[in-house]
Amino acid sequence: MTSRSSGTDMIAELVLATLFGLLLLGLHRKLIARIQRRPGPPVWQEILHMLKFSFKTTWIPKTASPVLFVGVVLIAIGIWTAAFYVLISGGSLLVILGIYMLHKIVEHGFGLSSGSPYGKYGGVRSVISAASEIPLFVSVAVIAVYTRSLDLSVIMQYQQVHGPLLIIAFPAACAMFLVILSKMPFGPFSIVEAKELVSGYKTEHFGIWRAGLEICNGLKTFVLLAVFLAVFIGLLSLPWLLVGMILMIVLLAFACAVTPMMSPFDSVTIQMLVTGLMLGYAAVVLMVVHP
Amino acid sequence: MIDLIGGVPLFVLEFGDELVYFTPYTITLFLLALTFTVLVLISRPEKQIDIAFGGDAYRAKEISISEMRFRRFMAIACGLATMGAMVTGDIFNFTLFTAMVGITNVGIVAAVKSPHVQDAAYQYGLVALAATVPLFAGAAVYAAVTGSLSMIELMKGTVPAVPLIAKGMLMLGVIGEGMAPFYAAKAEMFRAPGAPYVIMCSLSSLLIFLRVVEIVMLG
Repeated sequence: MTSRSSGTDMIAELVLATLFGLLLLGLHRKLIARIQRRPGPPVWQEILHMLKFSFKTTWIPKTASPVLFVGVVLIAIGIWTAAFYVLISGGSLLVILGIYMLHKIVEHGFGLSSGSPYGKYGGVRSVISAASEIPLFVSVAVIAVYTRSLDLSVIMQYQQVHGPLLIIAFPAACAMFLVILSKMPFGPFSIVEAKELVSGYKTEHFGIWRAGLEICNGLKTFVLLAVFLAVFIGLLSLPWLLVGMILMIVLLAFACAVTPMMSPFDSVTIQMLVTGLMLGYAAVVLMVVHP
Repeated sequence: MIDLIGGVPLFVLEFGDELVYFTPYTITLFLLALTFTVLVLISRPEKQIDIAFGGDAYRAKEISISEMRFRRFMAIACGLATMGAMVTGDIFNFTLFTAMVGITNVGIVAAVKSPHVQDAAYQYGLVALAATVPLFAGAAVYAAVTGSLSMIELMKGTVPAVPLIAKGMLMLGVIGEGMAPFYAAKAEMFRAPGAPYVIMCSLSSLLIFLRVVEIVMLG
């Protein structure tokens, strides 16, 4: 009975996190529209999208690799579900960030499996934008230098004693913010979904497969924002966690609304420059904290 | 410096100094490598569509059975090497698996009859070949300084501290196998048709990179 009850709770948490993540994505779209003086869609638009696609006709293109076409959707939901449970159990930050990087492979799989040229170029762009992940690992290294652990529970305990890492390691927080920005739609680094590629890597995934992708996006948004707050602010009660996530979405929406989408070359160049700066910062931190 | 980076080892299989172990981190990576290797086994390649520039014409690229067999074999070999790199507890074995991943990545696209892809594979091969120098040199410095190549010994902290140069060389070697900024040629390889096989090229590099992040934080 107990295990059934806890299992039900876990599923309920997963569903609520996904819906809240989709709501955040809707809020992101709405804010961008309002900043750009457009009415924009309602904030629950992404939830409606997910429901709409769930009941649309579903097909697999004749040119697709069918097993991979369907398999990547399941893998996408699977890896972010795993990341969510690692997050709520206070597990290793390294596992979550590993999953974050593997999302690139999922995008690559989405793009290549259909045979569509638009999907293919979306997938290839996803791989070349892997430069954005390197600052993430430098941020993680800095956090590890300070806290001597990569367990989320230990990182949160450290902040209860020493104060938020947002203040102690502000450049690392900026780098991780940039990484999250690179994953947000309509942002300066969203080259995988550029309009010249129709919908990029997800062009050919329609019906229930697209609904699966929407679920993955909602969950991914929730996990990334919650991880940022856990790592740089510390332990928060649920209402404060939700408020913090909304504030982060407001910041991200401003960044996306006022910056044009870069060319793939510029996007990768800026990400590599940030990586260089972060490596320098990490070296300084290492020398100061552990001389 | 930091204990139990990937979590508490769940299972350790020792063969003298050689060992295999699973932590929550490495088992996650191993399962992903296994999942994609199974996908390679059971998937058929897609028919990639090319659009003629400036017109409405398009054509689908077909992959012949003999080409598919060879590329599937190389992709499975790549998956096995990646799985080995995920679970090994020995730094020298890790470098061997990494070098094998580089070779199999070239093999996955070697049978594609496209000049762009062949050029990219050749250039990637040169970078990967050059990267093996710091890769194996890094492992050699590990052995010279600590007297052991066992990751468990490094984790225990019973051996002398590993110099930063050794960690840097090991990282550089892995990055040269296909991570930013050395992945430009590799991105061109992804023009090749055969999605289930091509994906193994990017997956293997990424997983190896994720594993080396854990390794350099030990000791």
